[in-house]
Amino acid sequence: MSNSVVSVISRFLEEYTTTTPNKLKVVDAYLLYILLTGAMQFLYCLLVGTFPFNSFLSGFISCVGSFILAVCLRIQINPQNKGDFLSISPERAFADFLFAHTVLHLVVMNFIG
Amino acid sequence: YSQPGSNSLFGLLLLSLALPGAQALTPSHHLSLSDVGRLQNLLNQEYTDLESAYYSVVGLSKLGAAVPNPAQVCQFLKSQLDPSSVDSLFFAAETSQAISGCEIPVSNETREILLAAVSEDSSMSQIHRAVGALSSLGLPLASQEVVSALTARINKEDNVMAIISALQTASRLSQQAELGGILEEIEDLTARLDDLGGIYLQFEEGLEATALFVAAAYGLSDHVDMEPPLKEDQVIQLVNSIFSKKSWDSLSEAFSVASAAAALSNNRFHVPVIVNTQGPATVSHNQPTLQLLVTDVMSQPLNSADVLVESAFAVASKSAVLNQEPFTHNDGVFELNFMSKKPASGYYQFTIGVTGDSRLVANHVELKVKVSTEVAVTNMDLSVVDKDQSIGTKTTRVQYPSKAKSPFTADSHQNFAMSFQLVDVNNEQELTPHQTFVRLHNQKTGQEVVFVAEPDSKNLYKFELDTAERKSEFDTMSGTYSLYLIVGDATLENPVLWNVADVVLKFADEEAPVAAQPKTLYVPKPEIQHLFREPEKKPPTVVSNTFTALVMSPLLLLLILWFKLGANISNFSFSPSTILFHLGHAALLGLMYVYWTNLNMFQTLKYLAIIGGVTFLAGNRMLAQKAVKRYVS
Repeated sequence: MSNSVVSVISRFLEEYTTTTPNKLKVVDAYLLYILLTGAMQFLYCLLVGTFPFNSFLSGFISCVGSFILAVCLRIQINPQNKGDFLSISPERAFADFLFAHTVLHLVVMNFIG
Repeated sequence: YSQPGSNSLFGLLLLSLALPGAQALTPSHHLSLSDVGRLQNLLNQEYTDLESAYYSVVGLSKLGAAVPNPAQVCQFLKSQLDPSSVDSLFFAAETSQAISGCEIPVSNETREILLAAVSEDSSMSQIHRAVGALSSLGLPLASQEVVSALTARINKEDNVMAIISALQTASRLSQQAELGGILEEIEDLTARLDDLGGIYLQFEEGLEATALFVAAAYGLSDHVDMEPPLKEDQVIQLVNSIFSKKSWDSLSEAFSVASAAAALSNNRFHVPVIVNTQGPATVSHNQPTLQLLVTDVMSQPLNSADVLVESAFAVASKSAVLNQEPFTHNDGVFELNFMSKKPASGYYQFTIGVTGDSRLVANHVELKVKVSTEVAVTNMDLSVVDKDQSIGTKTTRVQYPSKAKSPFTADSHQNFAMSFQLVDVNNEQELTPHQTFVRLHNQKTGQEVVFVAEPDSKNLYKFELDTAERKSEFDTMSGTYSLYLIVGDATLENPVLWNVADVVLKFADEEAPVAAQPKTLYVPKPEIQHLFREPEKKPPTVVSNTFTALVMSPLLLLLILWFKLGANISNFSFSPSTILFHLGHAALLGLMYVYWTNLNMFQTLKYLAIIGGVTFLAGNRMLAQKAVKRYVS
């Protein structure tokens, strides 16, 4: 059982490193970074406590929001999905990404206290 | 007009058949002699016009007071008279009737003016004044015409004052005229009175309207010799309303009260009776007679009345003590020697009836009479008893008002006992007054303790002080205490405060003698310090710093990964839009920081609009260039 899991994972990693374009790998690294930052914040909240709660919420939601927006960007600039996003060029996707981030950061800053 | 005797018998029969709880209303207000004096003074003030003269002179005459300087008044009337004004003629004519020997000159024009005013086109007040003037000046008038004018006017002017004027006018007309319609207005007006708590009955228009209504209603009823449709309780409620006000705002208000007082003390149908005691309602051995003042509402004595006690019973025991006992009339006061019946001390409920005139209203009055007496303390025995009863008691008798010669000593093994009797001096009966206290006063510290002495079944008072049991009340302070007996009651004329003896009390477990402190009820209390809200406990700085580092560490990882992936900025084109975009973007991030530290949302949005706009335009340019480059390649 574990053997097949290990082999599936190693196969997945191999395909990932070979077939994914570099641009997407850059975004994936960014996604990993966001994920780890969010996880660290959550760990702090579990261990030390929720004071101040608003700050925790804003930080955590910032991570979650950024993750989602980065995932959207990745989907939209993936050349394999070009058929689904005919009217949205990668530049347009990036511009949307920046605009959404501005709004997200406005909200996060308001809430961070 | 039936026999007064049979009428009163019938009234008594009705009363005896009435339910025991039913109480007729009795007046709570009337004009005392000082009130009448004050009213007269108000009416007697200087006047400068005819209307004030009218109120003053006619008001005084209604109160039965003499009008000062009648000749001068007559002169004043004649000089102030305006023969063309109905009002002026009315005031002058009515006032001249109140003083004897004053004739107002009348001319044909005057008569014409007055007769012309009597029509349904004039206001009710004008009709009333014209008719009044004609009647007082002795001029003829057609009563039936007046009645038709009044009837027509009542339909148009429905207010209370107008209808009162109609009643007043009707009482000046001939008795042969058809006054029945006007008479019915009395009943209509009665229905418009406001009942306040069952005590007062008055018009919402005020005191003047109510008083004038009473005067007008009785005036008209007397004129046609028909009893007004006012029930006894209503009459008393009207009395309460009219005479509750003891200072009057205006001359017209004083005049209306005087008219009402005159009407209620002297009309053919209802005369309210006021029964008051002369002095307090108390009888005693020294003051054995109960004295009553029986007057009308103006405090004029009703000398022809018969006053008797219909029944009297003791409040405590409900035993009847008097039945149908007459009062004797003695120089304006009705007297009854109650003490001759040898009543026990206490309170008695009297029901007093005033008869002799069928017009009397509220002539059954309830009165609470107190019989007071003097008390004597007898058989005062003091003793110190051992708790185990091994040593015989020695009893000392003390005579009132002297004090026991030697002090008594009681320690924790002994009880101090006291017994005595309280008797009524006059009839040797035992008494149980409300207050029988034993007070022990520490001479040195000023502390005092009060106990209650209770009577046993034979009305013998006993008091026992258990030294051990009661030591907490004394704060275990040993010492010499003065013993006082206090006896008091509302029906006792000689309350007793008697220093009977000195008692030396010895307590076991005595604490260090402390001067008796007054109860610290009224000293300043300790100050309450305000506790500010404590800030929440923060985790130690080490923990916070550690986690800050942990949270920042993925950034390091990101940079390493990007480096490994070969992400670079080699494609950076130094076009103006690119530079502008990056500057704008940096400014946006800076704005976010400044927002966190300094600004509010509105300011931020303002700056955001500016910087964002610039960044957007520049970014648009930059991305378009990039897209073009991508298409080309």
